[in-house]
Amino acid sequence: MDHLRPPIFSVDIHPDGTKFATGGQGQDSGKVVIWNMSPVLQEDDEKDENIPKMLCQMDNHLACVNCVRWSNSGMYLASGGDDKLIMVWKRATYIGPSTVFGSSGKLANVEQWRCVSILRNHSGDVMDVAWSPHDAWLASCSVDNTVVIWNAVKFPEILATLRGHSGLVKGLTWDPVGKYIASQADDRSLKVWRTLDWQLETSITKPFDECGGTTHVLRLSWSPDGHYLVSAHAMNNSGPTAQIIEREGWKTNMDFVGHRKAVTVVVSSQGTEGDGLQDSLTCLKRPLVVIHELFDKSIMDISWTLNGLGILVCSMDGSVAFLDFSQDELGDPLSEEEKSRIHQSTYGKSLAIMTEAQLSTAVIENPEMLKYQRRQQQQQLDQKSASTRETGSATSVAGVVNGESLEDIRKNLLKKQVETRTADGRRRITPLCIAQLDTGDFSTAFFNSIPLSGSLAGTMLSSHSSPQLLPLDSSTPNSFGASKPCTEPVVAASARPAGDSVNKDSMNATSTPAALSPSVLTTPSKIEPMKAFDSRFTERSKATPGAPALTSVTPTAMERLKEQNLVKELRPRDLLESSSDSDEKVPLTKPSSLSKRKLELEVETVEKKKKGRPRKDSRLMPVSLSVQSPATLTAEKEAMCLSAPALALKLPIPGPQRAFTLQVSSDPSMYIEVENEVTVVGGVKLSRLKCNREGKEWETVLTSRILTAAGSCDVVCVACEKRMLSVFSTCGRRLLSPILLPSPISTLHCTGSYVMALTAAATLSVWDVHRQVVVVKEESLHSILAGSDMTVSQILLTQHGIPVMNLSDGKAYCFNPSLSTWNLVSDKQDSLAQCADFRSSLPSQDAMLCSGPLAIIQGRTSNSGRQAARLFSVPHVVQQETTLAYLENQVAAALTLQSSHEYRHWLLLYARYLVNEGFEYRLREICKDLLGPVHYSTGSQWESTVVGLRKRELLKELLPVIGQNLRFQRLFTECQEQLDILRDK
Amino acid sequence: MAKVSVLNVAVLENPSPFHSPFRFEISFECSEALADDLEWKIIYVGSAESEEFDQILDSVLVGPVPAGRHMFVFQADAPNPSLIPETDAVGVTVVLITCTYHGQEFIRVGYYVNNEYLNPELRENPPMKPDFSQLQRNILASNPRVTRFHINWDNNTDRLEAIENQDPSLGCGLPLSCTPIKGLGLPGCIPGLLPENSMDCI
Repeated sequence: MDHLRPPIFSVDIHPDGTKFATGGQGQDSGKVVIWNMSPVLQEDDEKDENIPKMLCQMDNHLACVNCVRWSNSGMYLASGGDDKLIMVWKRATYIGPSTVFGSSGKLANVEQWRCVSILRNHSGDVMDVAWSPHDAWLASCSVDNTVVIWNAVKFPEILATLRGHSGLVKGLTWDPVGKYIASQADDRSLKVWRTLDWQLETSITKPFDECGGTTHVLRLSWSPDGHYLVSAHAMNNSGPTAQIIEREGWKTNMDFVGHRKAVTVVVSSQGTEGDGLQDSLTCLKRPLVVIHELFDKSIMDISWTLNGLGILVCSMDGSVAFLDFSQDELGDPLSEEEKSRIHQSTYGKSLAIMTEAQLSTAVIENPEMLKYQRRQQQQQLDQKSASTRETGSATSVAGVVNGESLEDIRKNLLKKQVETRTADGRRRITPLCIAQLDTGDFSTAFFNSIPLSGSLAGTMLSSHSSPQLLPLDSSTPNSFGASKPCTEPVVAASARPAGDSVNKDSMNATSTPAALSPSVLTTPSKIEPMKAFDSRFTERSKATPGAPALTSVTPTAMERLKEQNLVKELRPRDLLESSSDSDEKVPLTKPSSLSKRKLELEVETVEKKKKGRPRKDSRLMPVSLSVQSPATLTAEKEAMCLSAPALALKLPIPGPQRAFTLQVSSDPSMYIEVENEVTVVGGVKLSRLKCNREGKEWETVLTSRILTAAGSCDVVCVACEKRMLSVFSTCGRRLLSPILLPSPISTLHCTGSYVMALTAAATLSVWDVHRQVVVVKEESLHSILAGSDMTVSQILLTQHGIPVMNLSDGKAYCFNPSLSTWNLVSDKQDSLAQCADFRSSLPSQDAMLCSGPLAIIQGRTSNSGRQAARLFSVPHVVQQETTLAYLENQVAAALTLQSSHEYRHWLLLYARYLVNEGFEYRLREICKDLLGPVHYSTGSQWESTVVGLRKRELLKELLPVIGQNLRFQRLFTECQEQLDILRDK
Repeated sequence: MAKVSVLNVAVLENPSPFHSPFRFEISFECSEALADDLEWKIIYVGSAESEEFDQILDSVLVGPVPAGRHMFVFQADAPNPSLIPETDAVGVTVVLITCTYHGQEFIRVGYYVNNEYLNPELRENPPMKPDFSQLQRNILASNPRVTRFHINWDNNTDRLEAIENQDPSLGCGLPLSCTPIKGLGLPGCIPGLLPENSMDCI
């Protein structure tokens, strides 16, 4: 086992005993290697060349790996290293052996282990990781003095960060029944934490008082029966010992002595009846076994074999030794059942339940809670089995993507691949996705970047199932000699005559041995003298203009990112003139100046059919922005820049145009055409309004010139000269006799049955034309525009008739009709948003995906909060507060906008955050409001719905979230019971 | 960890006349969706003597890159003969495929390239001025030389520095060879690589 000459810091045997993992220093990175166990156990297997010794090696860690630990189920492997990361590995089941590209074939990975989660949180080297019993949690400790508890069911969620150590935390161990976790640190203390509330149970310092110097690791261990905790690196009478700590009262009466130097590792064995500690390790008071002179350097980690009779020991000197003991030497090991029996007799019956519920910490008080927890498990199981089924069927269709074999795809790849030019003229290739990642744990996997439309993830997966992929990996079929046999003779022929000639120089490809091999160039003689090139292979060249690329790539990429998102809506639409009159030159210049001035007024004029860019949200937010004829823009821009002291705000007025066209929505396709003064009937000039909706057309005439028009799926409205506003149904029927506006129209806008008119005098009105009521009555924009040099940059009307004004200073206000107030719903400079970090509370799948008016107003919220934490090292408490404040703002804003979808999204997020961070009072208040009075009383002011959502339904959605934190199980129970009462009523 | 690992590079249309374009079919795997594009380059080493004669044949952005396995064909025009020193036109040189993310190179795949006259006559008596139209380019596809570099895959730039600059003694008692620069890719340093290849040939 001396393959890894650099130090090996950790070793762990797989729960099924067939393999073990080591972690340590690789060549230029951290290295995790999974080894086959049988060659270690049996000499015959060791000699058998067909039995692989190394199964897989992963050099993904950036720096030395300090710890590797298998989950109890054996499904996952966790590794932690100096790169501050913890990686969780899972075996990718149906990829065959593969080689690492560019390395020799013998290093083939027999098994494929893939990193499924990277846990980032520690700010220093990760020293130890430990899976809790039943794999519910993963704990990690670090030189940043903290211990982090991760939710192993939902990585990378953090359940708790245990702070308290004042030195580097170098070892962790879970109580076998999962009630405690113990950590040992360089601060000469051993701390025991409760898993119930993640608070400190006790801190033991006495045995460590005398300790001088530090060790690399302090791997402590709990005895399998849970009675004793054995610490590393204690001192007793100036002699290094392994301190034994009793569970009862955390007494420290016993210790293991015999070591001459500091004890770094203690691992309890499978345990012998009654006294699980006697064979603890290496040198004891009356040590069972004394082993020394085995290694050149100190021992870093130890792992017991399945039968409890063997141990694997790894050392700084880069080797792993296997020590085999006989039954007589150690005594009889306990079987799993016996162990469980001991647990049960010692800690009570509850264990059985806990085992099942994967919750080893707390007694579950409520059967509903238990049921819920079980259901969750069941769902996970179902998902798992479903995914395995899927993969199973996928393999049977091996190597076919959408009826095309991988070979076919490869043949046509060049033709098929999508190549575009970026804004700065660079080539950009969209790679063909040949496979999703196969671990099933990747939520991002449902992403199809390929032109193969409609292919299911399942069939996508199949494309790289082993038989097809192997040739791809191991050889290069298209390289000369292999796939083109015809060229082979040519090469050979050309080589042979040349071979007769004198080797002019060693660089010549025609040396004699070369003639023997069919492919001339593979001869080592040719490669050997190429030292001159060696540096070229390995050095990042300065000639590679990488640096400038950084600047050029990023902005374009950013733009692209934006494009992909809903922000799409905010892009100024192309201007296009339908009429060919004198205005023609205007649109040519306007768009650029428009964007320059950051006047994001969206101009949505004709674009009859924009291919390839279906705007999905156009129905949801029909015409999200003000509609204007290009000619007005100039006027608007100037007029909008109203200075503060202006007594009367004056908004720009659209000037009359001969004709214009306006696209209302693309799906269903709907556009409005306006032609002013087309016909003259009896001396009166008539204007024509034409509307085309999915091919159906209607038209009507108006007596005065139409200044601006707007439409939605329900209504079409036009504002004419003489302050007249007319509203038509989708079929062209006039709905109202013309409305006389108080002042000339500035902007007209429709959403659903709501019509919004912004007049030149900066008053805003919104009517619901179907119900024929006023929603907002001539509300002045004074309060939001006054006081500074601001302009309205964007106008929006939600589906509920709530008008929203985006101002040039990045703030957005919506008008709350029930309170008659302007409410601030978004602020681009909001420092809260920049500090808030609630990513851990995000449901994994729909991460930030929540569309609606709030999302449109605020644009894409970045996860800058996370970065803020790292960049400015915001203290956790501060970030917690800002996150809370931010989330509350969001909930309130969604409520004000009456965006039910977003309200639900943010409420759930907020609740999840409260649950995660343990804010009980606020959570309770939310629940109380959602639940309402259980027993009906007439005097109740309680509304059963909020923005169209039933509050109690919301509460039902909230319950599973609350159920995730056992601290809130009382709350969970209360709500559950009351909901049950309500249901039974 | 490296978010992108190259699974394979297949050299297409090899050998081929000197003037025909280079074509590489590159397959790679991405463990996490990338926010930005990858930039791939093909660099033709004109002369072993100096980097001066390096020609970037082409550079191309590849994206978007979601998690998963992907492949694409990278085609680039043949090098400009006028930029190649006459003495280096015939014989062995190197072509490099590099990939950068956020301007940081994280993988470099190098191939030996042999340019030689097909015509035995020309081969024996090569013209003073190389006749590129007669040259055949043969890429030693079976022996790619792959060098990987650790780069910072995340957006904020100061993190990698933190990792690279950390005090090695703090972590693991012996110096970390974290900086993968020189020497690592040298034949002697890849255990078994060279012997392995020579085995192939016999």
